[in-house]
Amino acid sequence: MDDDVSPVAALVAAAAAGEQQAWRELVDRYAPLLVSVIRRFRLTPSDTEDIAQTVWLRLVEHLDRLREPQAIPRWLITTGRRESIRYLSSRHRIPPNDPLEPRYQSLAVDTGEPNEDLFRAERHEVLLAGLAELPRRQRELLLLLAEDPQPSYVEISERTGIPVGSIGPTRARALERLRRSAPVRGYLMSSDQTQPSGGDRHDAATLG
Amino acid sequence: MTRRRWDDDDRLFNDLAEAVHDTAPLARTIAEHAEGALSWRMIDEELASLTFDSSLEPVAATRARPDEARVLVFTSTPLSMELEVRHDQVVGQILPPGAGEIIIETSDGAEYRVSADESGFFELPSMRAGPVRLRCDTATGRVVTDWVRL
Repeated sequence: MDDDVSPVAALVAAAAAGEQQAWRELVDRYAPLLVSVIRRFRLTPSDTEDIAQTVWLRLVEHLDRLREPQAIPRWLITTGRRESIRYLSSRHRIPPNDPLEPRYQSLAVDTGEPNEDLFRAERHEVLLAGLAELPRRQRELLLLLAEDPQPSYVEISERTGIPVGSIGPTRARALERLRRSAPVRGYLMSSDQTQPSGGDRHDAATLG
Repeated sequence: MTRRRWDDDDRLFNDLAEAVHDTAPLARTIAEHAEGALSWRMIDEELASLTFDSSLEPVAATRARPDEARVLVFTSTPLSMELEVRHDQVVGQILPPGAGEIIIETSDGAEYRVSADESGFFELPSMRAGPVRLRCDTATGRVVTDWVRL
């Protein structure tokens, strides 16, 4: 069933074969994640756009090597962070910290992010990476429901072709799918195992 | 914990909506700009990946030599290229050393040509800031580097 297949692997293959439409959809799906990664470094919108463009241009040449499902978000997160750090350090705005992967644990130090902001930014990255993998209809529906102000169910039905009575159940399936997506599952496992107190604190603060 | 928080549909959805709102306007802009990026895809050249960048090195290593140039290394099977960026000057070398023609491409479509001497040395012209890549044609092979901002 269409609802069960993530189109990302097919989009990557089609974009690698030169299909513009597939590239455009891939970029639409992952642009929010990339913005979320770069904005942690508090750059201006125009710097963010420049760095993002460098990342997309580089992605084009790496499409062939990124065929496995989780490869794209990981590559975007790593490359987006590296390009941001590179940008900052080449202008001597901040001294670059420990350069390799473990350093990403200490991003709070790099960017001067307070803990709460760091947790929030992490949560956003994870959710946007999960959203990018959803089947078309589910992703479209969640994006429409997230619009502010939210369109009426009748309007959503007209725009998505989902009958009004199915919007609620489709939303529930989409959220379940998001919960089971690899980025979200991976995040929940690692945060539950390694930072239980951090998770509690963050939860209490956000809910309290 | 986040797990329990996200067990609830409405809380999960609210976090997601917040993430979408925070990124939406800029995400749309960068997606539009990215539309043409696919046409830059190189088919015939081998990709020389950025494998080293001194601006990603730990603080301790760079502080020892504060005036040191930024060094970038691109690696491919036939050859590698090293670039040294010092203030506005960019010099480079093809390795193994050898003469070659180098085309510098910018993402707005401009092209600059320079030649590398027998030792593989070359110097880049000054260009506006923004992503660039080098296409390099030598006796050993044809490669194109990753896009970088110098």
